[in-house]
Amino acid sequence: MITEQGVKDFLKTGGYIADDAITTAVFLALRMEKPILIEGPPGVGKTGLAKALSSALDFPLVRLQCYEGIDEGKALYDWEYGKQLLYTQLLRTQLDNYLSVSADLREAVERLSAEESLFFSRNFLVQRPILRSFLSEKRSLLLIDEIDRSDDEFEALLLECLSDFQVSIPELGVIEAKRKPLTILTSNGTRMISDALRRRCLYLYIGYPDLEREVAIVRVKFPEICDTLARQMVEFLRKARELNLRKPPSVSETLDWAQVLSILKASQLTPDVVANTVGVIAKHQTDLQKVNELAVQELS
Amino acid sequence: MERIIAGFVSALRENGIRVSPGESLDAVQALGLCGMTGRKSSRQLLRLTLIKNVNDIPVFNEVFNRYFSRYKFFDSEINIPELMDAAIIDMEGEFNYLNQRQDDDHDEQGPLLKLDSDINPEDLQDLKSLSEIDPDDSDGNEIVVQMKGYRGKAKAPRPTRRYTQNPLTIELNKSNSAPTGITFTHEEQIAMQDVVSRMMMRLRKDMKRMKNDQNRGKLHVIKTIQKNYRHDMVPFQVALRRKRREKPRLVVLCDVSFSVSHASRFMLLLLHTLHNQMLDVRSFIFNREVAEITEMLANMPVNDLMETIDKGDIVDLDANSSFGQVFLAFKKRYLENLRGRPAFIILGDARNNYDEANDWVLDEIREKARYMLWLTPEERDTWKRGDCLMEVYGSYCDKVEVVKTVEDLSLVVEDLLRDIYADHAHPIDKKRLQEAKAAEVYDSKDYYTRGSSSGGEAVFDPSGRSHW
Repeated sequence: MITEQGVKDFLKTGGYIADDAITTAVFLALRMEKPILIEGPPGVGKTGLAKALSSALDFPLVRLQCYEGIDEGKALYDWEYGKQLLYTQLLRTQLDNYLSVSADLREAVERLSAEESLFFSRNFLVQRPILRSFLSEKRSLLLIDEIDRSDDEFEALLLECLSDFQVSIPELGVIEAKRKPLTILTSNGTRMISDALRRRCLYLYIGYPDLEREVAIVRVKFPEICDTLARQMVEFLRKARELNLRKPPSVSETLDWAQVLSILKASQLTPDVVANTVGVIAKHQTDLQKVNELAVQELS
Repeated sequence: MERIIAGFVSALRENGIRVSPGESLDAVQALGLCGMTGRKSSRQLLRLTLIKNVNDIPVFNEVFNRYFSRYKFFDSEINIPELMDAAIIDMEGEFNYLNQRQDDDHDEQGPLLKLDSDINPEDLQDLKSLSEIDPDDSDGNEIVVQMKGYRGKAKAPRPTRRYTQNPLTIELNKSNSAPTGITFTHEEQIAMQDVVSRMMMRLRKDMKRMKNDQNRGKLHVIKTIQKNYRHDMVPFQVALRRKRREKPRLVVLCDVSFSVSHASRFMLLLLHTLHNQMLDVRSFIFNREVAEITEMLANMPVNDLMETIDKGDIVDLDANSSFGQVFLAFKKRYLENLRGRPAFIILGDARNNYDEANDWVLDEIREKARYMLWLTPEERDTWKRGDCLMEVYGSYCDKVEVVKTVEDLSLVVEDLLRDIYADHAHPIDKKRLQEAKAAEVYDSKDYYTRGSSSGGEAVFDPSGRSHW
């Protein structure tokens, strides 16, 4: 059985440096079979956690990217109309033979409707991400990404899936999950998620990591960056986050920057280096200026 | 353990965090799985299972510290430094508790603890005796409110607090029990979110219907084919071309002088919440000068913004408000670069401090505006008193409304939004909406409209206002 320390270790092998809160949440989600709702600023590794988990646990990752207007046809299941039509065409002769035995129209209709379930069987069901993860033979990891982009209706649709891990299909009845997937929902907080959905999940807020953890993250992803440079970078970015920028640099920017610096083979941060690479960390014109000023102030 | 969790959950509930029984069961299960290995991990477990909102985390931490410091003493092995810590946390917890409760607590003991020594005992006595005046007395209510301003603030009350005596702000205070600070408490933000989300819900229904109905026009051939391939190209479902619709524009001028500060802060909060949801809003605040805060409203946390405004960093708050000056400055600096035909909302009491009225500017604004709405916190009977120019300014507006509570405000804005949307809607919709509106019972005591004085129904009609 997995222990909390175990979770931390295998996350580390997956290249994800987790803090205690994240570890506990993942551990509980595995043991209690409850979804985790992760909120936090963009780029702090919400989706990254799911990816790291899927590779570390060897759970196949099933990803559902939410957007405005997503519905059950895109998320749960759909009927394959084309295939149904094709089959009725191909099976026409068989059907003719089958129905020619019947004495009158009434009997023919009865015979046909007895076989109706053939055409609404799993053969003609298109599995969309949620159903696919429920029916997976192996325990899977279901990532419902950026749930805040979807509509209220879709959120309500998820309630049944997330609390009971089942999907109701009118033609087939209730389909229960073979193995309850480890479910992760992420949200950037552009819209309030309803309390009903929150209640069914464990709630994890991932903020910006502390200094040590962020340095560790950089070192794991880019071992070629030396400790002092990594520390210098992270300290600089932490100051930049306090500048009240329009888009504060996040962990993903830290990593991009680390990559850029390692390509440029920079050994130390100077105002020049920052000025040359500022586009990686600041994404608005006004921000560029502020970051450059900070670099001159802090690094010269 | 179940008992401890149940107690803790009820403590959370007392502090305004909603925890469902299912969540407390989760907490018990989680603790059972992980074991109680330490204070930190138990706190994490409880937070994971019981708290579902970032804003609730500070409250949770506080309650956790307070609640579990009490139980520390039952530990078998007594650890002295740990005990000290617990005691300190306990004290701090208590202290924070007092601090936090001071504003809404009418009990004498707690709040007075915070009074500094430089208030002498006689003053204290005076204050105390003030509060003992029977509230049924004519001015009792006002004095209680006055007391609230003084209570717990050792330094001289700032003008905002002094003005809580103003009968209008009392009116506002009563309905939403706003404390005297200018920043919003957590409860207020929640209440606002509540009001706004209810409003959005009501609006959304209408919008959606209109949007659906709007889906009429020429046949979109490609989409129709795409949609119907599953039906063997028999066009069961038809896709039509949709007209692009622009976002409704809104310009808000908000008086932030002390006399209407309560109303305006709720207006700002409402705007903050609404911003970008469905509108293109440009917001201005004014006292004697006028400044645009659209960017700040979109990018700054609302409490920071309130503080900046309150400090007088954006517009000088010590000057007397002058609507005439403001309109003039607005015309000079902003009127030319307003895009489209926005709807205008002006919030203020129209008390001009006997300055030049400059009401001709409103005439120019009106030419630019699709619709003009004036919101005032004052009752109609006081409009002619003193330096109030409501009658003069009101004559340029499509509508003048009295708003006193958040609810009022949200209803008025909702009506306005609906009107704006209706204006963009298909003619058939427009007609239907107007019919529906005409069928509504018209309650004349709620607000005063110019339309009603001429006997007609107050129907939104941009073209029909030229007769003023």
